[in-house]
Amino acid sequence: MKAAPFAYVRPSRLSDAIAELAETRGGGKVIAGGQSLAPVLAMRLARPDTLIDINSIEELGVLTRSGSALHIGAVVRQRRVERDPLSGSVPLLRLALPWVGHRELRSRGTVCGSLAHADPAAELPAVACCLDAELTLTGPNGHRRVSAREFFHGAMTTELTPDEILTSVRLPVAAAGEGFGFAEIARRHGDFALAGVAVRVRLPAGRPEATLTAFGVSDRPVTRDVSEQLAAAVTDSGEAPADRLKGPLSAVADELVDTDGDIHASRDYRRRLLLALAGRELSKAYERARDGAEEVAT
Amino acid sequence: MTVNEAVPRGEGAPFTPRPVKAGADDPVEVRMTVNGTPTALSLPARVTLADALRDHLGLTGTHVGCEHGVCGMCTVLVDGEAARACLLFAVQLDGADIVTVEGLGRPDALHPLQESFGRHHALQCGFCTPGFLMSSYDLLTNQPDVTEEELPEELSGVICRCTGYRNILTAVDETRRAHPGGVPAPGNCGRTALVGRAGQGTDATDGPDETENAASSGTQDIVLPGGDPTIAMRITTAIDLPEDRVWGVLDDIHLLARCLPGAELTDDYGHGHYAGRARVSVGPVKLTFNGVAQILEHDRAAGRLRAIAQGQDTGGAQTQADITLTTEATEAGTTMHADAKVYLTGRIAQFGRALAGDVSRRMFEQFADAVTEAAASGRAPSGPVKAPSALSLVFAPLLDRVKRLLRRGGRRRRGGREKEH
Ligand SMILES: Cc1cc2nc3c(=O)[nH]c(=O)nc-3n(C[C@@H](O)[C@H](O)[C@H](O)COP(=O)(O)OP(=O)(O)OC[C@H]3O[C@@H](n4cnc5c(N)ncnc54)[C@H](O)[C@@H]3O)c2cc1C
Ligand code: FES
Ligand code: FES
Repeated sequence: MKAAPFAYVRPSRLSDAIAELAETRGGGKVIAGGQSLAPVLAMRLARPDTLIDINSIEELGVLTRSGSALHIGAVVRQRRVERDPLSGSVPLLRLALPWVGHRELRSRGTVCGSLAHADPAAELPAVACCLDAELTLTGPNGHRRVSAREFFHGAMTTELTPDEILTSVRLPVAAAGEGFGFAEIARRHGDFALAGVAVRVRLPAGRPEATLTAFGVSDRPVTRDVSEQLAAAVTDSGEAPADRLKGPLSAVADELVDTDGDIHASRDYRRRLLLALAGRELSKAYERARDGAEEVAT
Repeated sequence: MTVNEAVPRGEGAPFTPRPVKAGADDPVEVRMTVNGTPTALSLPARVTLADALRDHLGLTGTHVGCEHGVCGMCTVLVDGEAARACLLFAVQLDGADIVTVEGLGRPDALHPLQESFGRHHALQCGFCTPGFLMSSYDLLTNQPDVTEEELPEELSGVICRCTGYRNILTAVDETRRAHPGGVPAPGNCGRTALVGRAGQGTDATDGPDETENAASSGTQDIVLPGGDPTIAMRITTAIDLPEDRVWGVLDDIHLLARCLPGAELTDDYGHGHYAGRARVSVGPVKLTFNGVAQILEHDRAAGRLRAIAQGQDTGGAQTQADITLTTEATEAGTTMHADAKVYLTGRIAQFGRALAGDVSRRMFEQFADAVTEAAASGRAPSGPVKAPSALSLVFAPLLDRVKRLLRRGGRRRRGGREKEH
């Protein structure tokens, strides 16, 4: 099917985009990469009366790194981030990007568009939550900063009001001695995940601190502190093998999966997937953190 | 402190579309370079790139399956990167550089990927082939170090209903091995035609409007494509009249135009620039080209007249021609050579090349006959020369061949060299 007619505005200044959006009184939609919006329009699941194309706003195309954060503007494409050496400073993002759809979609899809779209099974919202990224929302009353963990309200609903634009996201740069893991199971590569995990491990003073974000198993990414579980799995020789993590993690996995399941995967199957993925990735991240830490120490 | 590093925007050239504000029914202007040819379109915002390419530019190599990003049939290159043409509105691509499967290679010089697909039977019904070619071109160009093991995953963005994956992977892998540093650039991206459809109606369902669409300003310069022509031919005609009688026709552009089958001069802008119209119909295909022509050389003493022309029809078929007429005095009268290079794009280019060649040659023969008649009578041929009609054009070339075989020789020597590309 084809999209219903819509008015089209492509301003070159952010303030104009905000004004245009306000003018539509809720009937307008921002278009960034269009990789989620275009199919929705084609299927006529949405009929916004105006599309506000933000791609000509130069300041939104900025990808920079400050000392402690990677700043990604609203129209920076996923594939650009994937390739840019700067994004090497956020290893979790690098691990996750290849899982986002296919190459052909990442050529156009943006990092911020994926966050704004807030698909519960999407990878980038999980990355943002796991790292506790900071999002900047800009509206008629100026900017406000929101933590990723507070941004996602539910499936495709976020903290954004209809007159706001997500202008950028700031992801913390990895410190020495941090390790990350990312994996998902989908029915076919490039499809949305049945279940997936993003994990971050650090070892300040040798004591593990671990964060686990699960996605595809609830109406939004869900994040838990799993430091205790990881500590319980560490052996005397300083290993944390995946199978030793399963026991401690099983209660967390049970609690995190709160979808009823669907034709592709039951609730139980998703729990088993989550548990397996969480154990494996935490173990890997722990190893990476430990080896990195050793490297720094010597 | 913020370290503001210059960041490369992928392989393609960066572009920033111009600001726009358009109501739901307003057409939006978009300029893109498509397979090396600058085009200007005016489209409603909801027209996808896939539909713009297919319906407005006649480039139907880009296929459309699901229209929501899943099947990959519509994959094209946008600024050097594969993207889904069904998930982009054409208006978003103002200033962008697009390459479609038509730009990848030429029939006589296929791209290595196309050759490899053929060699390995990587196409069955061929529906997914343009998508796979463009996706794998992107892969092998932007990630030439991709491994054989990664290929299935990297190519998973395109679906083959005929399940020809094994052969497709073999074909891509072979090309990867043969070109470890990256595959050659698309081989068919010369300028092929220049008249966009600026100011043209609203969407693909518009019927042809024969009078309103005269191609832009008549005084604009015509730039010929750099690549090889679609058809190149030389027609030699012996005319039983002295050279200056023949030039009596060639000197009078209005008279000359009336000798061209189906053609009409509609405007004379002066300084050798003209606007005109030409009708061609072959079977179900009926095209009306509106365009501009320019006389580059008019040298009676040297016996040379050179004109270039470009035109387009409302369906996006585009044609350009470079025609040189030369005359030589002979004992029996005059020999006239018509050298023509014709460049075709859009739906007309999908004709069998041989047929398009035959049609064009037939037109030039009719033209030569009309010039002879006009030179003999000093008047325009009785009424404008009839537009080539379906039957005569399809069958005349065949009939001609038969006649030639029977006749052997005759008054007209056909040095018709037809180069097909
Ligand atoms: C076949 C297919 C498979 C896919 N698979 C995956 C997958 O596996 N994982 C995944 O994560 N995604 C997947 N996607 C979606 C995807 O590719 C995009 O990454 C992403 O969700 C949309 O980014 P975008 O920039 O294209 O946003 P758009 O499509 O432009 O926008 C999406 C939504 O967010 C809003 N929006 C966008 N930017 C802003 C902003 N700056 N401020 C306010 N609102 C904004 C829009 O109004 C719209 O409602 C898939 C898509 C397709 C078609
Ligand atoms: S038609 Fe574009 S992906 Fe299917
Ligand atoms: S060859 Fe038929 S769809 Fe692939």
